[in-house]
Amino acid sequence: MKRFALLGLAFVGIFLGCQKSKPTLHVYNWADYLAPQLVARFEKQYQCKIVIDTFDSNEAMYAKLKAGATGYDVLFPSSYMVALLKRENLIQPLDHALIPNLSNIDSTYLNIVYDPKMEYSVPYAVSITGVAYLRNRVPNIRFSWDVFARKDLKGRMTMLDDMRETIGAALKFLGYSLNTRNEQELQKARNVVLEWKRNLAKFENEQYKTGIASEEFFVVHGYSGDIFQIMAENPNVDFFVPEEGTSLAMDEMVITRTSKQVQLAHAFINFLLDPHNAAENIAVINYLCPNRAAYPLLDESLRRHPVLFPPKNVLARCEVIEDLGEDNVKYTKIWDEIKAMQ
Amino acid sequence: MKRSRFPFYITLGVIVFFYLPIVMLVIHSFNASRFGGRWMGFSLKWYSQLFYHPEIWQSLERTLVIGISATGVSVVLGTLAGLALHFYGHTSLQKVHYVFIYTPLVVPDILMGMSLLLFFVFLGIGLGLFTIFLAHVTFCISYVAFVILSRLQDFDNSLLEAARDLGATSWQATWRVLIPHLMPAIVAGALLAFTLSIDDFVISFFVAGPGATTLPIRIYSMIKHGSPPLINALSTLMLFVTFILIGVTQRLIKEETP
Repeated sequence: MKRFALLGLAFVGIFLGCQKSKPTLHVYNWADYLAPQLVARFEKQYQCKIVIDTFDSNEAMYAKLKAGATGYDVLFPSSYMVALLKRENLIQPLDHALIPNLSNIDSTYLNIVYDPKMEYSVPYAVSITGVAYLRNRVPNIRFSWDVFARKDLKGRMTMLDDMRETIGAALKFLGYSLNTRNEQELQKARNVVLEWKRNLAKFENEQYKTGIASEEFFVVHGYSGDIFQIMAENPNVDFFVPEEGTSLAMDEMVITRTSKQVQLAHAFINFLLDPHNAAENIAVINYLCPNRAAYPLLDESLRRHPVLFPPKNVLARCEVIEDLGEDNVKYTKIWDEIKAMQ
Repeated sequence: MKRSRFPFYITLGVIVFFYLPIVMLVIHSFNASRFGGRWMGFSLKWYSQLFYHPEIWQSLERTLVIGISATGVSVVLGTLAGLALHFYGHTSLQKVHYVFIYTPLVVPDILMGMSLLLFFVFLGIGLGLFTIFLAHVTFCISYVAFVILSRLQDFDNSLLEAARDLGATSWQATWRVLIPHLMPAIVAGALLAFTLSIDDFVISFFVAGPGATTLPIRIYSMIKHGSPPLINALSTLMLFVTFILIGVTQRLIKEETP
């Protein structure tokens, strides 16, 4: 037992001891969401150490910070969470003078996110909900949500088991906003989803990846990051963003209110916005960093990738899913009806 | 009379249910496909990629350090708690103690994680490995104490009295009679504590600070952007090490008992 105690003490000692020699930047991010070579380069360039910790959901991360957890400098929350973090005074305004590379940000995306002036947050990476299909099994496809109404694909299609995504898809198909609070529009969307449901194998969030990779499903509604990976593995899989528009999620970079390394945190954000670094990052994480100056530096295959670069006019019809507060109930009610209906 | 085959099928079913997922995991760790829907050929690429992810090894190391140290401390405290509850259980003070020991078993993890976090923040203790260690000790103590307590149920107190009667000091009686009798429970409690500590996610997530991402926290986070097959590979390696350890221990035990 004494040995255990000694081990513990030694460990605490090491832990406390190695903290102060170099400035340390604490980054709180999703796992595998930042190219490791960039971290190493930043550490060398700025004579500092970067410690990366990971979280698995925006909500859990928020709950933790709200309870008073400190020590993190840069966070990577999703766009909708930035509003909440700001309201609760957990993040600080950015000093634009310290981030000259902000000018590289692709303004197409800025108009969609919560904080278009980038007062508190800088867009880091985009993910889009779209449709993946098998080129060899589904000829003459039209790039519309309408594909889920096709009887000939009955039992070979899946949609996400997520009320905001799937009802949102129907709302976009009807030409409404996917953040609507209008009951009539929601009723119409409900009927559309019910019609689609007759053709679906199931509502599914995880297995659809395996399903389409092994060609069990022909058409699936899914997230761009996953579909990118599937396309790399099965060349028959292709991706499109329905022309009516879809939901788009942006992960952002913010600096915590309690950060002790404000200068370094700004330098880090600026570093990631450098076109060369951003291009390298896109190639590793397989998500688009909305950095216009980085696009020409990408490999040909990435520059033409349908997951990374959907058509501009379609992008203009995309929206970010917002938290609707009390009106969420309207969606829950319809979703329950949809799930219950045979 | 013909014996029923029913128990055999039940046993078989249970064994398949327990071990098939593990077998699948091992198989998939060698599958070139990322999604595991179909077999795309034998490959060691997930194993080789594991070596390019030093942060996975770091979190494994943290998990093991916390697991071992939390087990050590909670075994001592839990055993003491079990002894106190057994020998003085009838006093009102010990009844309160019993409730305190029992509570962590029934409190939901998320509540415990959140309240510990609020407590640490209130005390101004910097979050990190040390706070995870404290949290793990907190819930492991209860499990150890209950294992000890159940072992003590069939302990004959007169053994201790006999030892004292034959001239043993109370120290000797404890170490020569009581502790050897409790040893299986202590080992079982330690294994239980170690397992609980190693795979705890919810509580660890809340009390972890900067630089203290443990393996479960990392694995959960990898579900969104990472490569799950890496985890298959890592788990297979861990299984392999566990089997070797068990094999070695059994050989040692066999050698000790002639």
